[in-house]
Amino acid sequence: MKVVLGLLVLLSFVSCIEISDDITIHNDGSGTFRYKINLSASKIKVNSILALDSLDGKPIPSIAKISAKINEFVRILDAQNGISNVLVEENYTDYIFKLSCDFKNIKQLQDAIRLSIAQITDDKVTAPMDQYWLNWDGNMLVRNIPTYITQQIKSYKIQDLDLLKEGVYTSIARFDRPVASCQNKLSVISKNQMAVLVKTNTYALKENQHLLDNTIVLSPR
Amino acid sequence: MLTLSFRRFWLFVVLISTHSSWSQINSIHSEQLLPKDAVTVFSINNISLLQKIAMDDLVNYEFMSEVHQELFDGSTSNKTLKDAGINFDERLNLFYGKSIKYELSGFTFGVSDKKSLFDVFDDFQYDQSQFEGLEVYGTFFNNLLIKDNQALLIRIEPTMQYIDEVTDSIWFARGYEMPFEFFDEESFDEEASFEIDPSFIDEESALEEQESILEEEIYDEEQENSNVFPEASENPLVKNYYELRDSVQVILQQKEFSRVVEEIFINGQNLFNADERFASQLSHQAEAAFYMDNARNLNKAQGFWYFQTVLPTLYQDIQDLYAGNVILGDLFLRDNQIDFEVEAQYGASLGSIYTQMNDARFDANVLDYIPASSPAYFTYNINLQKAYEQAFKVVLPLLSDEKNAQIAVNVLTLELLNEFINKDAIFDTYKGSMFGTFNGIKKVNTKKIEFTFDEQSFEYQEIETETQTDMPIFTFGFSTSRPDIPEMILKQLSRLSSRIQHFDNYWRIDNAVLDAVPLYILNTGDLLLISNDEDMARFHYNGYGNESLSKKQRKAAKKSGFMYGKIDVFEALDRFPLEVLSAENAEIFSSFKGKSGQLELTSSQTSETHTNIKLSYQFDGQETPGEHLLDMINSLYVMYTLNP
Repeated sequence: MKVVLGLLVLLSFVSCIEISDDITIHNDGSGTFRYKINLSASKIKVNSILALDSLDGKPIPSIAKISAKINEFVRILDAQNGISNVLVEENYTDYIFKLSCDFKNIKQLQDAIRLSIAQITDDKVTAPMDQYWLNWDGNMLVRNIPTYITQQIKSYKIQDLDLLKEGVYTSIARFDRPVASCQNKLSVISKNQMAVLVKTNTYALKENQHLLDNTIVLSPR
Repeated sequence: MLTLSFRRFWLFVVLISTHSSWSQINSIHSEQLLPKDAVTVFSINNISLLQKIAMDDLVNYEFMSEVHQELFDGSTSNKTLKDAGINFDERLNLFYGKSIKYELSGFTFGVSDKKSLFDVFDDFQYDQSQFEGLEVYGTFFNNLLIKDNQALLIRIEPTMQYIDEVTDSIWFARGYEMPFEFFDEESFDEEASFEIDPSFIDEESALEEQESILEEEIYDEEQENSNVFPEASENPLVKNYYELRDSVQVILQQKEFSRVVEEIFINGQNLFNADERFASQLSHQAEAAFYMDNARNLNKAQGFWYFQTVLPTLYQDIQDLYAGNVILGDLFLRDNQIDFEVEAQYGASLGSIYTQMNDARFDANVLDYIPASSPAYFTYNINLQKAYEQAFKVVLPLLSDEKNAQIAVNVLTLELLNEFINKDAIFDTYKGSMFGTFNGIKKVNTKKIEFTFDEQSFEYQEIETETQTDMPIFTFGFSTSRPDIPEMILKQLSRLSSRIQHFDNYWRIDNAVLDAVPLYILNTGDLLLISNDEDMARFHYNGYGNESLSKKQRKAAKKSGFMYGKIDVFEALDRFPLEVLSAENAEIFSSFKGKSGQLELTSSQTSETHTNIKLSYQFDGQETPGEHLLDMINSLYVMYTLNP
């Protein structure tokens, strides 16, 4: 838990952050999930924070401890039902972290992520199991950030909100068939019609997590 | 008549110079209640200080709330230091001392109104005193002793090492089994025990190994609990180990307390009359005085127990070397200036090393590389070669006399190295004059990775781009007469790593600072300079010329002894990167920025007996130095409490 807290402290001090989530959903509901965090623009700050024992009264974890925690998360995630090929890339020179895994269906993916996070953070409060942020019915993908996540994000203390404006969050959804329509005004559909991208800055996202909400309808099979 | 007056004079002199007991002291002051074992004392001259800092202003500062909380509990809330019945015509002396057996701390002060004092110290209970005229009060930890309106608040604790030693001795003498294994067992660190070494490839086997270690530890703990852990006895007169240890602690505490009380209040022995240097320091017309007896610090330092027990002769020699080592300081609040004047006194042997060390010619070339705009810089000047040779002369005979195999090997190694190593090359490479500057914040170029997504299918790519980031700029340098040696090292290292490159006038080591910014090394032939300032490396190989320190600034640095430092508080704070602070702390830091002033550190020439160091803070504005000092203390307190 200390390491996770330390990581949160570290991230709260790093303003220039680039995050992307990238989900590929096949027609049968299976797919691949990729998550990337890029701190390379803030690497001086990250390095200087990592050189400290503690910041704002909270201990700063060492690289070895961060790596151990990431690997623990990967191990737990890999053991969940319907999850396979969990891969993680850790780049401690530029501070880029990439996680990817295959899933059998989208509910299993979300359950797996939720359980894995709860385990590594020793979270005693279990997230409501009936609230999902992604729903897929074979033709339509609905992304709707549940209340418990928005409340959790609001409770995070970010050191300097203005600096978050420099951060970027990108969310991509890929499909086997062309996209017919999408509801989010920030959405951009790729030229090949097979993917939807939503891009925003981390400040706006911290203020309104529903910026990523979207309903993507695919063309009939 | 004349003869009578002369006799009276001598009688008076004899009377005041031979007082050895409390009964012979007519007028006592708070500093005369300081225990002889106090090693560090900070003495506040209330009379002088309060003329410069109004009590009404003092009690309203945020940091005073901490003092008030400490002094006053809930039942006396809303009380301030003003209401504490303290006599502000007397000094307030804070002290601390630690020996191998005991630790003592507390403060002494004058009492003006006992009723008010006990309204504040209302948790102190009256205790029966063995000594006439001495009032004794106590809480669970502290003791308050009052005599003739002077008070000593003292806390005495035996050290755990001493308590354990006595307890073990009694426990063993009673024929019990020693619970060493149980007590020596390291506390079970859950996180450390479960931590998985990332180098493990086979995670399952790593987990199995962790579980097996855990099972063994639980088993061992159970075994130990059943056999060795001292159980409470049914007979209330027989104590288990912990009960015995608690009793030992109380008895040792009482014994030492009685000894200290008798020493001060019956025998009239205290630090003030035991150490002339301390008494002399308090005679200065300063707002506060500082005293630290380094010789006794060494004498009582726990780290030296090995020397004391295993190498007693060497320990005695080290004690002799440190004899007379004391640091004395005065704090003066002057017009628009706060001065902290420190004198380090030492004995002849140590003095001979320091004198040789400071017998160095200051290389004024270093000053060319300090820009006048630098908000903070220091120079340091020592003669390492002479210091080494003198230390060799003084310390080696001490070691050589010791009849110990390990020390003999170390002495032999030292002597061989001394013979075989080219000392001239070492001490010519680092000649002893050095400097450091903080040149504010500059934008430096770094590389970052950006995520991009093509328009066709949003396929992901990473591209490397340039970005700029704020970086504090530092330069360090020292004089050398062997520029060929660092050049040789850099040349060979550059063959090993492409990160080290040679340019016209300088070497560049890429990503040397925080793994992101290059470090530049300039070898001018007389000086070796190390900096993260590209501008300095490229354009100031020969120094800053007209932009370097003014004549007045150069003179001040040259005139100072072995050390000189200067900080322009306003500039240094103004250029400090607030991004590295949290938003709340940055705000407080910004308010602190309103304080403008110059902090200057100067030192005297070192003699065989002492060195003087002066830290002087000059500020602009209409505030009194007292208000300015309190504002600064308060800002630091607020900063500390928000970011402990």
